[in-house]
Amino acid sequence: MNTPSHGGARKGAGRKKNSGSFKEETKVIRVPISLVNSLIPTIEVYKSQVKSKVEVFLTKDNPTELSIPIFTSRVQAGFPSPADDHLEDALDLNTHLIHHKEATFFVKAQGDSMLGAGIQQGDILIVDKSLSAKSGKIVIAVVDGEFTVKRLHKYKGNITLKAENPDFEDIKIGGTDELIIWGVVTSVIHQYE
Amino acid sequence: MNKPVKFALVDCNNFYASCERVFEPKLEGRPIVVLSNNDGCIIARSNEAKALGIKMGSPYFKVRNLIARNSVAVKSSNYPLYGDMSSRVMKVIGQYSPIQEVYSIDESFIDLAGLPLNLIDHMQSLRVRVKSWTGVPVCIGMGSTKVLAKLANRIAKKYSKFNGVFDIDELPYERYCKLLQSVEVGDLWGIGRQSAKKLNRIGIQTSCDFYQADVGVIETLLGVNGKKIYQELRGKSCIPIELIPPTRQQIVSSRSFGVDLRDFDELNQALTALTRKAVNKLNNHKLAMTTMTVFIYTNPHKKDKPHAYLSKTAGMPIAIEDESQIIPLASQILRLIYKPGYSFNKGGVVLSNLTKNYRQQDLFSINQNSQSQVLARKKSDAIKGVNERFNESIKYASEVGNDRWLPRADFRSNRYTTSWSELLKI
Repeated sequence: MNTPSHGGARKGAGRKKNSGSFKEETKVIRVPISLVNSLIPTIEVYKSQVKSKVEVFLTKDNPTELSIPIFTSRVQAGFPSPADDHLEDALDLNTHLIHHKEATFFVKAQGDSMLGAGIQQGDILIVDKSLSAKSGKIVIAVVDGEFTVKRLHKYKGNITLKAENPDFEDIKIGGTDELIIWGVVTSVIHQYE
Repeated sequence: MNKPVKFALVDCNNFYASCERVFEPKLEGRPIVVLSNNDGCIIARSNEAKALGIKMGSPYFKVRNLIARNSVAVKSSNYPLYGDMSSRVMKVIGQYSPIQEVYSIDESFIDLAGLPLNLIDHMQSLRVRVKSWTGVPVCIGMGSTKVLAKLANRIAKKYSKFNGVFDIDELPYERYCKLLQSVEVGDLWGIGRQSAKKLNRIGIQTSCDFYQADVGVIETLLGVNGKKIYQELRGKSCIPIELIPPTRQQIVSSRSFGVDLRDFDELNQALTALTRKAVNKLNNHKLAMTTMTVFIYTNPHKKDKPHAYLSKTAGMPIAIEDESQIIPLASQILRLIYKPGYSFNKGGVVLSNLTKNYRQQDLFSINQNSQSQVLARKKSDAIKGVNERFNESIKYASEVGNDRWLPRADFRSNRYTTSWSELLKI
């Protein structure tokens, strides 16, 4: 058969090869309708990345692998648990020990001036800054810029920070001393070795 | 009955310095400065430090003498502490209004409209409670718009006679004008440096000039956002409280290194650690990413050495969220951009094109349940679990090294509220 001398496509006419959105050859494939919606986003993301000239790295996963979920739903059989109606939340130490979460701080005890109150070296004290410091409470106090943990005593306008260990002296707050109650100790955590 | 619209801006006083003082009360009354990451610049000052003339942003080495002469307390920034204290402060503020916008680490707007209370008393009680519960002092400005509330906050901070709470709507008109004359237009909330320059050029210097300007002029000059600020200053509320924080556009994790790095392995160590930080943020926000940028820079201030700003962005065909996929990708990109012979002093990663974590997305997504992904996810979850319990004990091999890259933090206080081993000792 002779090649026609005229007609047909001109050389170089039409869209340039690899000039589409993907900058590479494309292929038409058949796809089940139910998968169309899940494939399109992948293609669109890829397209936008090609467009933005961002280098595309393929995941190490086999890209042809596609798992299709099977719809399964179990039918309940058998007798429901008789405890179902009586389930309660498990006990949570946080809710037991901490009442003002935003105002609660943990500090570590040093020294044994409060041995009599059950505070040993290395124990963790739970301190609530929101509580008002009433007489008789164990408090974290700041005396002249230094922290100390003691039992607060207020009597007729006199304030004393009492140690609970005979080896330690009480701190009497005088006129020039600066005292700030930093927080109230609400619990002690003592962990055995 | 209260006015239909009323906002309050609660702002912590010198927040970083105040956080340091909570756990170191002897710093009360003493000047404090807090340094940026890598101990480079001054990023926060107590009032006493401001009074000494130490400027925001000045390089630490330039003011070192001044600091030593005045026995200023110097602290490296301790973001774990500031972050935790911030969330405590914000929660306490939230007890005072059903509508709250956390605007920054130390500022929060609340909506007081329609509360059947004496608002000044209500806000005084807020101020006292935040101080007593967290130890952080705050000041509160109130107004019928957010711009006015912010302005009122300046007054509350500046004049101690208001006891930390000031309502600008109570000010008579003449006093209000006088106030505006004393505030430069660039100091208004929402007027940035560029906008201020434009306004100055047409003769608007003070907020009062701005207030008296023609609305058309402002709109032509600054667009619709400038017009909103203008109207807010005149008492018409245009900027509502944002209840839902805008979704993150990108996650950045970058650092100046403690020493200049030349070696690939050392850079890789730094970037692996930074990538892991970024991935943790990604996972905490339940997001996944499809684009990642890795960059390394040399120090622009060292004129005698060759400069290089190297970066590359890579995309993924599907969104990923797993550190076992993202960390190798970071190394892969670093290998592509790394050039020997340079001293790099800064590096980082940017995760962008963030999407909702695809685990919760539609049932049909590709690769979702492929065996290897499930295994990878299980592995990262296990690693994360171990690291949470045992203090970051599992690391990627590329992350282990001499740690020379770690930013300097020579004066960091303890992480009193987030680390069992760094509790306050009493």
